[in-house]
Amino acid sequence: MIWDDWLPLLIVLSSLSVGLVIFFLPEDRVATRTGLNLVGALLKLVLVGFMLWGVFQGHQYETRLPLLPGLDLVLRADPLSMLFVLLSSVLWLVTTVYAIGYLEDSPHRSRFFGFFSLCVTATVGVALAGNLITFVLFYELLTLTTYPLIVHRGTEVARRAGRSYLTYTVAGGALLLAGTVWLYAITGTVEFTERGFLSGLDASLHPVFIIIFTLLIGGLGVKAALIPLHGWLVQAMVAPAPVSALLHAVAVVKAGAFGIVRVVYDVYGIDFAAGLGVTLPLAILAAATVIYGSLRALFQDDLKRRLAFSTVSQVSYIILGIAVVGPVAAIGGLVHLVHQGVMKITLFFCAGNLAETLGIHRISEMNGVGRRMPWTMAAFTIGALGMIGVPPLAGFVSKWYLGLGALDAGQDWVIFILAGSSLLNAGYYLPVLYAVWFNEPPDAWSDERYFGRHETAWALLVPPVVTALLTLAMGLLASVPLSPLYWARIITTLEYLP
Amino acid sequence: MSDVARLFLLLSIPGLPLLLAIALTFPALRRVTLLLAPWAAFPALVLSLSMKPGITLELPWLLFGTRLGIDETARIFLCFTALLWLVAGVYAVGYFKDCSSRSRFFTWFLLSMAGNLGLILAQDMIIFYSFFALMSFASYGLVIHDRSSEALRAGRVYIILVVVGEVLLLAAFAYVAQAAGSIALEAARPAVAGSEARDLIIGLTLLGFGIKAGVIGLHVWLPLAHPVAPAPASAVLSGTMIAAGLLGWLRILPLGEAAFPGWGGLMIVAGIAAAFYAILVGLLQSCPKTVLAYSSVSKMGIMTVAVGLGLVEPDNWPLILSAILIYVLHHGLAKGALFLGAGLAAIPPASKRQRFVLIAGLLLAALSLAGAPLTSGMIAKNLLKVQATSVSPPWGDWLPILLPLSAVATSMLMARFLSLVWLQRKCTSAAQATPKAMWLSWIALLVVVALAPLFISLADPQNHWTAKTMISAFWPVALGGGFAVCFWLYGWRRGITWSFNVPPGDLLIFVERRLCSLATSGRAFGLETLPKWRLSFLAGWQRFRDGSELSSVLDSGENRLGYWAIATTLYLVLALAFIFLAAR
Repeated sequence: MIWDDWLPLLIVLSSLSVGLVIFFLPEDRVATRTGLNLVGALLKLVLVGFMLWGVFQGHQYETRLPLLPGLDLVLRADPLSMLFVLLSSVLWLVTTVYAIGYLEDSPHRSRFFGFFSLCVTATVGVALAGNLITFVLFYELLTLTTYPLIVHRGTEVARRAGRSYLTYTVAGGALLLAGTVWLYAITGTVEFTERGFLSGLDASLHPVFIIIFTLLIGGLGVKAALIPLHGWLVQAMVAPAPVSALLHAVAVVKAGAFGIVRVVYDVYGIDFAAGLGVTLPLAILAAATVIYGSLRALFQDDLKRRLAFSTVSQVSYIILGIAVVGPVAAIGGLVHLVHQGVMKITLFFCAGNLAETLGIHRISEMNGVGRRMPWTMAAFTIGALGMIGVPPLAGFVSKWYLGLGALDAGQDWVIFILAGSSLLNAGYYLPVLYAVWFNEPPDAWSDERYFGRHETAWALLVPPVVTALLTLAMGLLASVPLSPLYWARIITTLEYLP
Repeated sequence: MSDVARLFLLLSIPGLPLLLAIALTFPALRRVTLLLAPWAAFPALVLSLSMKPGITLELPWLLFGTRLGIDETARIFLCFTALLWLVAGVYAVGYFKDCSSRSRFFTWFLLSMAGNLGLILAQDMIIFYSFFALMSFASYGLVIHDRSSEALRAGRVYIILVVVGEVLLLAAFAYVAQAAGSIALEAARPAVAGSEARDLIIGLTLLGFGIKAGVIGLHVWLPLAHPVAPAPASAVLSGTMIAAGLLGWLRILPLGEAAFPGWGGLMIVAGIAAAFYAILVGLLQSCPKTVLAYSSVSKMGIMTVAVGLGLVEPDNWPLILSAILIYVLHHGLAKGALFLGAGLAAIPPASKRQRFVLIAGLLLAALSLAGAPLTSGMIAKNLLKVQATSVSPPWGDWLPILLPLSAVATSMLMARFLSLVWLQRKCTSAAQATPKAMWLSWIALLVVVALAPLFISLADPQNHWTAKTMISAFWPVALGGGFAVCFWLYGWRRGITWSFNVPPGDLLIFVERRLCSLATSGRAFGLETLPKWRLSFLAGWQRFRDGSELSSVLDSGENRLGYWAIATTLYLVLALAFIFLAAR
């Protein structure tokens, strides 16, 4: 069927075309731009839904375009890519609504939304990439399209953050490319294959594979914010709230983590990687990042900085889950790919609402804000409690599977990392919740804007409430078919069972 | 009742308070909800009294597949827990006269209630853990309701210990689930007994639930938090929520599966230590509610001893379990009545008759708690003593001596409590009307306390009413009372306490100071030292680069790559280490 060949490409093009049109729209065509954005996001969601249904029915979707002799541009739908594509298209729709509300009346909106659409294009490309070279292409595209978003405000701080971002990610991209080319030179293929394509090769190549693994993880680890490569992420929080939201939840950070999953599962194969002995160091690195990120978050007063360090910590759960080597832990890691995204985007939306409505940027200014903005702060509370891992929220599901999986794989030490990290998470989120709900509000907020009867603009309020409800639903309804947990189980079955 | 109706009723036990709590957050629904809120525990009480055990409800779509049900243990827990929540709810209507603080109180009250009732019904670990967390976090709102500085401090200590407990329990549950290959609670105890990690599991469970149950050393939050909460909240905190920790032990520990003399001995020693230590510190307190909180710690110590007996003597477990269940039921009712009475005593009485009723009621509850003849306390203590006597040495030798001694001590503590209430009464003068709801609900609870021994002996075939039992119940109370009279004559009646003073929270005071200084230095490390290290590292790097040939080549723009350069260096070092580790 023709659909089977072109659907992945259509999904990528749905946002690419929107982005290109928006670039040429005059600044004052607000209605057209808003309409285009929403239509593009909805269309993508419909196409993804259609593909999801197809994959569920056992359809194979693959677009293959010749790129170089012997090297194709491949876009393919498998359960792992569906997990990421679905996450990005749902959160993209939500973030688009939020961004429209957030950037109301600010300059350069056409530029912003153009790059915004290109950025989703790149993310979806990363998700659907069927071989390493396609992955690298979209990964680099993601770097380039995110830069204008980070420096959007054009201030000195923003430009410095942008420079730092570019330096880190371009260097990371170079490592990734080097690793990819080296691998291609040895094997002649970089096609993603279930359980990897390296295990059959000669044992004398194993040291080389270890070095290539280090290169690939180094390249991907920049975006996944593994220590010590996380410095850019914290600086990049100067970006506008919708950009931070997508940076931390879907696009950049997730692309790195997703890439690590791909490399471990579909390039090396989990068993082969474990045999090479590269998974334990990766797990240790991830565990160190989990603890270090939480420790640093504890001492930040700037809300977005605290959230940024929390991302450093939480994203490494995904990598930890993969590197522990066991089916149950893998479920925990993969499901956290989705859960962390939804929870963290809620928190960043709320941080944006505080800044836009009341001019609040610091935690020390948040006293009693729950009374002024109850809905926003209720969403924030759900997100924060989810991050701590309080049941029945999404974060608990991740932590439960990670802990259980670590024991299952005989790596008991991981459970103490999880316990320590949960304590630290509570240590930096609970004081915020306390200040928000139990402290007395000040007489006047520093920069208050009024929105009639409502606490803030509709477009700013609905997205965090929706994602907070999703956080609750993904925990409460974890066993329902098509939940993130359900997908994570399917993916893991493919990787682990004979 | 049809099955569907019963299942619906089962679901409404945690569901109704949860829905009402959510409804309270909407101002439009507040008025109606506040009328319904006090009765939210009603379905639970009906079901616990009417239903035969064994019913279960499967909710495969909820969490990881949820099972709720009522077994014999759950039924008894549900019975006194629901009753106490119901009484406390009605009492709270009178306690909070103005509407805004009442709705704030009831929001947290209902959430805690949903957690408390729900965890009793839980038949799998995940829903148990969820309800336990709901109860623990929501009762924070009860503890700090007054917003006084003592309440806030108590809340801080409480929430820190809650989080620590939750984390320990998550680890424990993960180990249990891994060992059992299932999340069903009924699979937990055999699996723990057979697991390789059983010592770790038992240790984590003891500590995790021990925080809630107030095991000695972990009890420090309890004398702070229970007294500062409003009286209806104190009643449920000390009467039912504390017992949730005990229920957790009963569900997870390998009781009746195999003998664990080491762990059992540890629990017995810890329990005895708590029983006496808490009374000693309690006697030095001068606030009636704090005295009651210490009495709870002491009583939970006795129950810890009983659980320890179960670990030592698995064969006797069914009998020990029924002794524990009766003990916890008795303690919940009596302690609830005492706390609610203490709340009434804080309001100056309108008439002499009222004052008489109050003192008489408190005396009844206090006698019951001390285990005087013809009370439920006597039956509970007697059942436990029988088990303590039949346990293997060395415990069997000296437990039968220590348990009556603890009853003597409890009697003294109760006398101390009554004397404090008596004195408090004399100090105040301005009389005001006490709301009826408080009196009626309290008296209803007292009637249940008074009739409890009757119900228990109807349900239990053993004869508790022998002369020997009566005598052995009488002398400790008489002795304790006698001591108390001496103390009264010596100084209590003049309001004189002791030349030295132990503040509520006892051990905490030593730890808190150290922790505070640790936290301060940790903060200083994070905020000052770490950045300083980073700066000096960067400065060193700068010096190095300036000194080398390279620096003249680099233009100033590229100096900004400093951070990046560090990252790369670290990456290279790490990569080498990585390769080395992997190639090894």
